[in-house]
Amino acid sequence: MGMNTILLILYAVAGAAYAVQFSRRTLGTSRVATVLLVLAAVAHTFAIGMETMRIGHVPIASATSATFTFVWLLALSYLYVELTTGERAIGVFILPLLIALQAIPAAAGATLEPRSALLESPWFGIHVSSLLFAYASFAIAAVLGITYVLQFKEIKAKQLGFFYARLPSLNVLDDMNLRAVKIGWLFLTVGLITGAIWASQIPPSGAMSFGDPKVFVAVLCWAVYSFELYAQRAIGWRGRRAAWLSTVGFGIVLLNFVPVSYFFTTSHQF
Amino acid sequence: MQLLLVGVSHRTAPVELRERLDFSAKGVDRALTALAESPSHHETTIVSTCNRVELYVCCDETATARAAIQQFLSDFHGIPGEQLAPHLYAKTGHDAVTHLFRVASGLDSLVVGEPQVLGQVKEAFGLASQLGCTGTLLNKLFHSAFAVGKRVRSETALSEGAVSVSYAAVALAKKIFGNLKGRTVLVLGAGEMGKLTAIHMQAQGIGRLIITSRTAAHAASLADSIGGTAMPWASLNTALAEADIMITATGASAPIISRTLIAQTMKARQERPLFIIDIAVPRDVEAGAGELEEVFLYNIDDLQSVVQENLSKRGTEASEAEKIVSEEVSRFLGWLNSRGAVPTVVALRHRFESIRQSELRRLEPKLASLSPDARARVDEITRLIIEKLLISPTEQLKSIPDAETVAVYSDALNRLFGLAGDDATEDSALTSAGAARPAKKPVL
Repeated sequence: MGMNTILLILYAVAGAAYAVQFSRRTLGTSRVATVLLVLAAVAHTFAIGMETMRIGHVPIASATSATFTFVWLLALSYLYVELTTGERAIGVFILPLLIALQAIPAAAGATLEPRSALLESPWFGIHVSSLLFAYASFAIAAVLGITYVLQFKEIKAKQLGFFYARLPSLNVLDDMNLRAVKIGWLFLTVGLITGAIWASQIPPSGAMSFGDPKVFVAVLCWAVYSFELYAQRAIGWRGRRAAWLSTVGFGIVLLNFVPVSYFFTTSHQF
Repeated sequence: MQLLLVGVSHRTAPVELRERLDFSAKGVDRALTALAESPSHHETTIVSTCNRVELYVCCDETATARAAIQQFLSDFHGIPGEQLAPHLYAKTGHDAVTHLFRVASGLDSLVVGEPQVLGQVKEAFGLASQLGCTGTLLNKLFHSAFAVGKRVRSETALSEGAVSVSYAAVALAKKIFGNLKGRTVLVLGAGEMGKLTAIHMQAQGIGRLIITSRTAAHAASLADSIGGTAMPWASLNTALAEADIMITATGASAPIISRTLIAQTMKARQERPLFIIDIAVPRDVEAGAGELEEVFLYNIDDLQSVVQENLSKRGTEASEAEKIVSEEVSRFLGWLNSRGAVPTVVALRHRFESIRQSELRRLEPKLASLSPDARARVDEITRLIIEKLLISPTEQLKSIPDAETVAVYSDALNRLFGLAGDDATEDSALTSAGAARPAKKPVL
């Protein structure tokens, strides 16, 4: 059984624990869930370390290994949010995402990291890691957005049910969403700029341009999140509208991650 | 030694009688001190709240103790016995333990699951133990009760969900705005319901309370009495633009706040959410206003149905809580039964020790020639032999879960080692006075 499969199982177990704690909401089940996720994240950290030693750099140079690293970043970011705010309710939404994404490297088995002089550039490292971190923040923002909308609908319709009893208040979800978007936007900006610098250093024969679907979608993301932040400040688009924008933005991110990476792009591997 | 509970609660006595029985007015400490002089029982704790007055005691004879407590209640409060008797309940053993555990977890409360009662029970016990009125049995009993209360609260949703209209409104507001610190609350109308809800909101540390009424004087007097700013009716629009929460409770016969008015305000508010609590009957706010984006409109019926739902949810949680209670009752009774073995253990130990001492005395002439060091060693060795011999029977006896088996084992030991009547058993160093009689019938 490969390392990726073991991690997948660990995340799946943690996911089950989060589902149990979400429905039961007892102190015991909550602690078990957090401990299991920490365990999975520690194992993942160890795996990242092993990979890094094996190939000589952080595993980010292929679509599959970038997914692998992305899952790790997302798990850590989520744990950071949970441990600093004490809010576990969104865990039950993050975990399925972690499990689904970890299934990609688990299904792919061992991957060969492409080695090329191009990828040795420090710009490339900053470019990819900033983007991965930005996407992890956006994933959390999207989950916060979805939970906001779910709860908003319950309160508005006066059907105080399942989510009402379990989620933090709308205001807290909104604040957390905007904070996640801000952090994500910052890293996305850094990622795009370093990407542009890196692209300018390589020979024009490489198909790195705005014509590349990957670049196009990333810029589209940047536009969506920039608008969200602007609208929040300038015209008071908070709450439900911000929640929707976060969700749509991450939908585009996911689009970039899976179909574009695996089916459309040629030279820009991920 | 037996556990006895005598009391009245909202289930058995009308409020007039409960008021007269309430100890807090005349002083629970005075009552405890008075009760401590009674010879009919050993330990006492009085739980006295507005919904119940209950006395927990340890006694040898429940009938005598019960009569004494009833007499005490009627003397202390000046209520004729025949007036009191039909409302009193008395429970012993298993039933008394179950009762206290149910009380502590909120299962016996008027509003099931209300959380204050656990604190009240804690206070009651704290006072009794401060005055030295409690001993081994009540200490263990009440600490177990606190643990049950805690378990019920953390493992069930028995205390969740607001069960009054104004709390339901506050809970909703918190769910929308997070904490209410710094929020602006606007109250329309100076009626009682609006006032009550506003007071609950204030308790949450809101930033500003604006009160307006069509009769300016009413608004001003309400603002005076609960704190807040009175605003003339004419500047309603300005107030609305500032408010996060609006409570309407006027006596108007037709809606006074139209959908159009709210729609206009929402623009001025940059779509900040507005929570409208319309507790007036008939309603003050046009129902259509609730369809606007970022407007949450709840009328009195909506809030009532939230309360109803919470109450019925508590009802379903109650069976979970009852399960916890009965688990903990058996655990407590297990402990109590193991205490039933203590007198036998003590007696057995004394028996062994007295044999050792008498043998040492008998051998005194032969041991006299030994050095002090060697004599100390003989003493030590014989003592260790006894300890080793006692370990297994002690553990076995203490781990027996049911009272009958404890009685059978104790009886067997008494006969085999001739413990009954052994004067050594009167020493009660290891146990409280009441429990030291050898192999007496177990506590319950």
